[in-house]
Amino acid sequence: MTDDGVMMLQINFKSGKPVYLQVVDQIKSAAASGALRVGEPLPSIRPLAEELRVNRNTIAKAYGELESQGVIETLPGKGCFLKANHSPLKKDARHKLLIEEIDQAVVQAHHLQVPRGEFIELVRERLDTLDDKKRAHDNQKSD
Amino acid sequence: MNASNLAIEINNLSYAYSKGDAVHDLTIQVPRGKCYGLFGRNGAGKTTTMKCLLNLLRPRGGSVRVFGLDPNKAEVEVKSKLAYVPDAVAFYPWMSVRETLDYLASFRSHWNRDTEGDLLKRFRLDASQKTGGLSKGQKTQVALIAAICPEPELLLLDEPTSGLDPIVRREFIETVIGAYQEGDPGNRTIFVSTHLITEFEGLIDEFTIMDAGRAVLTLGADQARERYQKIRARFAQAAPANEFKGAMHTRRNGRELELIVNGEGPRILAELRSLSPESLTSEALTLEEVFVATLK
Repeated sequence: MTDDGVMMLQINFKSGKPVYLQVVDQIKSAAASGALRVGEPLPSIRPLAEELRVNRNTIAKAYGELESQGVIETLPGKGCFLKANHSPLKKDARHKLLIEEIDQAVVQAHHLQVPRGEFIELVRERLDTLDDKKRAHDNQKSD
Repeated sequence: MNASNLAIEINNLSYAYSKGDAVHDLTIQVPRGKCYGLFGRNGAGKTTTMKCLLNLLRPRGGSVRVFGLDPNKAEVEVKSKLAYVPDAVAFYPWMSVRETLDYLASFRSHWNRDTEGDLLKRFRLDASQKTGGLSKGQKTQVALIAAICPEPELLLLDEPTSGLDPIVRREFIETVIGAYQEGDPGNRTIFVSTHLITEFEGLIDEFTIMDAGRAVLTLGADQARERYQKIRARFAQAAPANEFKGAMHTRRNGRELELIVNGEGPRILAELRSLSPESLTSEALTLEEVFVATLK
């Protein structure tokens, strides 16, 4: 969070990904890395939309999507918050979502001629990086 | 689409000033609650289209409807539902900002004083200053305040940010998103004509690119960025001289090849991969790049 309570999100119009999905994915990764914690409020729609200079409805759509996926909850009059255990999806469904993303990376690895062992090593490295980030956030909090 | 869900309906609109059509057979539908961009170069027919919506010009052919109403037959009702910010704003120069806003408010059945106060403060405007002494940017800010305070259902913006400095532009867009859209989330419609596309990129839901009075492309913004891609490939040897079917533009530079594609991205990427390039990347075009690629 920055001083004015607006989370650091970056919209990239060159990614080809719908803008609302970029917001959804970035909030999910903020939650995964600990940059956003359970019970912490998300920025309200208006300041976030103004900050990113994107249509207000785009942010509303992103929050709606996050809510229907069970990542956040809206408390009337208080705003949106990251939910505890924010994955109500069954294990199969969670795996299925992940498999799609993994397949894309696998295809990309093939085209870039990154061999299997190297690919798996990279995945390990990324998991470690995320753990480190989470730890850093935890330490910051306890300071 | 159900007509009652449309804020603006332009059907086969034509208009001519003297010889040649300024607008020719233009059809646009703007659903309520959306932000719709009308993109075109200077002289493409954007302002003429706006003026037909405002009953400042009468269509020579076709029709325009605003919330289902004919601006020519129901001018007062139509104008009560919308506000318009033109490119060149003109006020009575002897009136102060305060007097100007009061004067404009007198034509409106509703005026949000809180919003007015907030925006005057935000734009750091001195209400006692005569409008004759305002800069172009400040005049546009006063016009924007006058457009937002009546809380209209539809905001028509005609090249609103051309000639303004980057800070004023930024504040302008933020105000449209915040003060205007937030007032009635999901229901406020924006119709903006501009050739400064980049700054409106995040705001636009759908757009039409006009050229010489005609619509040449109508598309959703996310859809456009998904379909239009710039593909770059670098080869070990000179770039192959292949014709890539479906590429809009092709540029060769020694070992490098750059293609602009529309919806054929996956197929062309596969084709390029089979030629074993050293590197192969693709990225979406921004709306401005789509605009340029379309009119080039």
